[in-house]
Amino acid sequence: MLFYYLRLGALSYRRNPVLSTLMVMAVAIGVGSYMVVFTLNYVMGGDPIPQKSSQLYHVQLDSGDPDTESDPPEQLTYLDSMALIDADLPFPRTATSKFFAIVEPDGETRPFSVMGRGSYADFFTMFNVPFLFGSGWDRSADRELQQVVVLSRELNERLFGGVDSVGESVLLDGYNFQVIGVVDDWTPIPKFYDVNNGPFDPSEEVYIPWPQIINLDMQRSGNTNCWKPLDGSGIQAFLNSECIWLQFWVELADRNDRQLYQDYLDNYVREQKQLGRFQRPLNNHLYDVNEWLLLREVLPNETRILSALAAMLLGVCLLNTIGLLLSKFLGKAGEIGVRQALGANKASLFIQHVVEAGFIGLLGGLLGLGVAALGLQGIRILLGDLMVTDWIQLDTTVVTVTIGLAILSTIVAGLYPIWRACRINPSTHLKTQ
Amino acid sequence: MEIGPIFRAMWRNRIGVALIALQIAFTMTVVVNAIYIINERSRLMARPSGLDEANLFYLRSVGFQEGFDEESTIVEDRILLQATPGIIDMTVMNAIPLSGSGSSTGVRVNPDANGPSTYTALYRVDEHAIDTMGLELIAGENFTTAEVRQLGRLDSGSTAPIIITEALAEALFTGGAAEALGNTLYWQVDIPMQIIGVVKQLQAPWPTFASIENSMLIPNNILDGQSLYLVRTEPGQVNTMMLRVEELLADSNPARIIMNVKSLEETRADSYRIDSSMARILLVVIVILVFITSMGVVGLAVFGINRRRRQIGTRRALGATQGQIIRYFLVENLIISGIGVTLGAVLTLGFNIFLVQTFNMPRIEWYYTPLGMLALVLVGLLAVLGPSRGAARIPPAIATRTV
Amino acid sequence: MLKMKDVGKVYRTELVETRALTSFSLDVDEGEFVTVTGPSGCGKTTFLNIAGLLETYSSGTYLLDGQDVSELGDRQRARLRNRKIGFIFQSFNLMPDLNLFDNVDVPLRYRGMRASERRQRVDQMLDSVGLLSRKKHLPSQLSGGQQQRVAIARALVGEPRFLLADEPTGNLDSHTAAGVMELLEQVNESGTTIIMVTHDDSLAQRARRNVKILDGRIQSIDQLADSRIPATPVSDRALSANA
Repeated sequence: MLFYYLRLGALSYRRNPVLSTLMVMAVAIGVGSYMVVFTLNYVMGGDPIPQKSSQLYHVQLDSGDPDTESDPPEQLTYLDSMALIDADLPFPRTATSKFFAIVEPDGETRPFSVMGRGSYADFFTMFNVPFLFGSGWDRSADRELQQVVVLSRELNERLFGGVDSVGESVLLDGYNFQVIGVVDDWTPIPKFYDVNNGPFDPSEEVYIPWPQIINLDMQRSGNTNCWKPLDGSGIQAFLNSECIWLQFWVELADRNDRQLYQDYLDNYVREQKQLGRFQRPLNNHLYDVNEWLLLREVLPNETRILSALAAMLLGVCLLNTIGLLLSKFLGKAGEIGVRQALGANKASLFIQHVVEAGFIGLLGGLLGLGVAALGLQGIRILLGDLMVTDWIQLDTTVVTVTIGLAILSTIVAGLYPIWRACRINPSTHLKTQ
Repeated sequence: MEIGPIFRAMWRNRIGVALIALQIAFTMTVVVNAIYIINERSRLMARPSGLDEANLFYLRSVGFQEGFDEESTIVEDRILLQATPGIIDMTVMNAIPLSGSGSSTGVRVNPDANGPSTYTALYRVDEHAIDTMGLELIAGENFTTAEVRQLGRLDSGSTAPIIITEALAEALFTGGAAEALGNTLYWQVDIPMQIIGVVKQLQAPWPTFASIENSMLIPNNILDGQSLYLVRTEPGQVNTMMLRVEELLADSNPARIIMNVKSLEETRADSYRIDSSMARILLVVIVILVFITSMGVVGLAVFGINRRRRQIGTRRALGATQGQIIRYFLVENLIISGIGVTLGAVLTLGFNIFLVQTFNMPRIEWYYTPLGMLALVLVGLLAVLGPSRGAARIPPAIATRTV
Repeated sequence: MLKMKDVGKVYRTELVETRALTSFSLDVDEGEFVTVTGPSGCGKTTFLNIAGLLETYSSGTYLLDGQDVSELGDRQRARLRNRKIGFIFQSFNLMPDLNLFDNVDVPLRYRGMRASERRQRVDQMLDSVGLLSRKKHLPSQLSGGQQQRVAIARALVGEPRFLLADEPTGNLDSHTAAGVMELLEQVNESGTTIIMVTHDDSLAQRARRNVKILDGRIQSIDQLADSRIPATPVSDRALSANA
């Protein structure tokens, strides 16, 4: 019977092509526009590492200025990061920050600059970083200040033509680094491990053991905030300062571990208080990935405003569809009467028209995919290279939701017209037409 | 024109009328608030930076080889650029206005650690800054060459003469620029900085910074292996000069690379990319909505006319002129639109309150709502004009014809 | 077969009450051909709609095959219409966007019959009204008489025992009308009970009984001829197509 009803739906479309096309367009525009915003929300507000997001915790210690009232700082000082790194606890952890360096390729190519990330060995396993060749370094490289480097896939293409470059060396700011691994394509959206420096920025091109940033005096990059003047000048004064500039992540498998680590943090801060630091009340936090993204309001205001507007746009399109379906179904009063005379009961008429509305919805959904694709492409063009935009595209989830939403919303829009149509007294429309 | 019969006819099709009225109401809500957001963003984008943006570009010179000497490189580069036709001036800075990256600090009028501090952008510059940027010095004087100091990396602040913006002067002193001149500000609690000049305007590097007009110029440069040059060209020569200068500098000293070459206009476009994108997206939304709603109005009108063809023919047979038929539908449309925009006015204000509360936007100006109402009513009338003219052309003979 | 006693039908709107039928009593036996005549608005169609379970009545009793239909729900009424009753209308009421085959197919669809059986029955039915070769045509491509023959095929395809016809020749010229009439008579001869509403007295006289209605009441029932023919199986019918 479903196919019969689908065929009737198609025939009915042909009978009022203009009206039907208007409906399909209204559904397509409404759903398509909504899906553009849905895609933005669902990726930008999504979970960038669903397998582990509840085990990875961002550490926040309140080392802020005691004379002002503000939220705890988003990042950590060097002193605290090093203390947490050196802590004798079994949990994987990493401090991390950005730098930039000049790469000198062999041969004719001119030197160029790259964005780099300093991190500890656990970074790669904690964040499930995929490797094309080789692997990350181990903890001894951090301790022993080994000059090892992990390249991004793109940089490996640029320097080594994409072949396995493990064991080769790369000149960074004049220092020889040995390639130990090449990361496969890896661009978490949002870039959860460093939302302070652009949550939609591309991943870095090189990774080196974090201590080398200090050891080799690399060009630090990224957000640095100091509430207290440095005590003296030079690098040591900076490192001993209350300036915050590092992100710190720890992997905790369960609630027990989390509690253990929270206790450890609180104890550490209490000790530091004895030394005159941390003059604010004890206020240390562990946020898992999703809590952290939510807290930092990674989702831009713009997408939230657009969500509200898109919902209203969809509403207008559906109101439009209700009106058009009403005209269309009431125009079929005669046919509905005849069908009842020939033995159709109300339930089968209801189903017939639900299928007809669903058919319009399906067409609207298919066209809506085009509208959504067009809208997403438009947004990519508008944003340009402001941020990573590769993800702004239709994926299977969006395609499924688009079609589903289109069918469902058209059927919902059709309920009142269908109810009206099925309530028609058959006898009144059989006499003369 | 009798309103009563029109009302009664509409009442019989009240659901259809309600659907259109609701569409008009929602459309008005979205359109008015979207225009308001667009205007709000345009206002932000239209703020002048105080710079001669059209003729400025910047670049970064980064040393990477042993033996690179930043201080002498700057001197050589300046000589090279000054000898290049098309270049007016250059300055070495720590941050570029509009670029979104720079430093800020708190300053105080008294050296009291607990006193209130005022946040300001901090530009480290040399004596060429005012000429290069094209700033207007409204009081005091520029830095002298002797005042410009070269500091080591991570040198903590030390005393220096400063030039501040008029906005910062007004934020700090009741007497504004006049009182500020010659006065002393305290930086990092107790480092005194004497104000030797005030410029009319210079924006901080971050478009979203709350105190965007507060800026402070300090005559020093930090020697950290990289320097940022802001270059001013003869009018209309930015693009050619960007290429020429990049090549000149790269060739003159192979111990460094030249990167991030970018014009200030491009920088502005990038900084306001989200705002301009938002404005364009909203414009598309407005066009789509007005189109959809017009289609709805047309659809309802055509449906109503087709249902009443006989009746219209009869009216014509009874002596109604074409104009009277058209007027009937226009009045009907006016009533529906009236209901729609009245409801729309309430929704518009409601949605605006949501925007104000959720996103900290300023409240909508009063005239937006009535203008929006008027515009939507006009759109409705335009949309219904076609179908009602069609209705007027229904021949009176239809009344006597059996269908 | 059909037994109406004191059936009344009142239409109510906000302001007025219209009595469409008053104390309407009529018995129709299996195999009868009854015509119903009366002036415009007398209640002929109301009677037919009630008889065909398209409308409910306000008072009285109506037994169809001994079953009181007032207690039936929509689903059961639809089932009865589908299986026991066939309808023919003045304006044919073919569905404009379905071809002839699909039009005739409609009642069988609602019976949930298998596709092969439906195809066989529809083809046979179209063949018997002489329009099998045009089964892919749309109704608009046919003449009025041809359309009405399709409508009759559609009414009969489900093998109803009861055929209700509302002015079936009203939109046809007299020659074509005669053909349709002959077709109906053959259907009746093969055992199907027919009630036909008409305003054409000459047609009304061709039936065994003629019911005259005036202002919602039965004015007279004329016994015209005793031409009852024993019922024969419907599948044996040979319907000529000379209309």
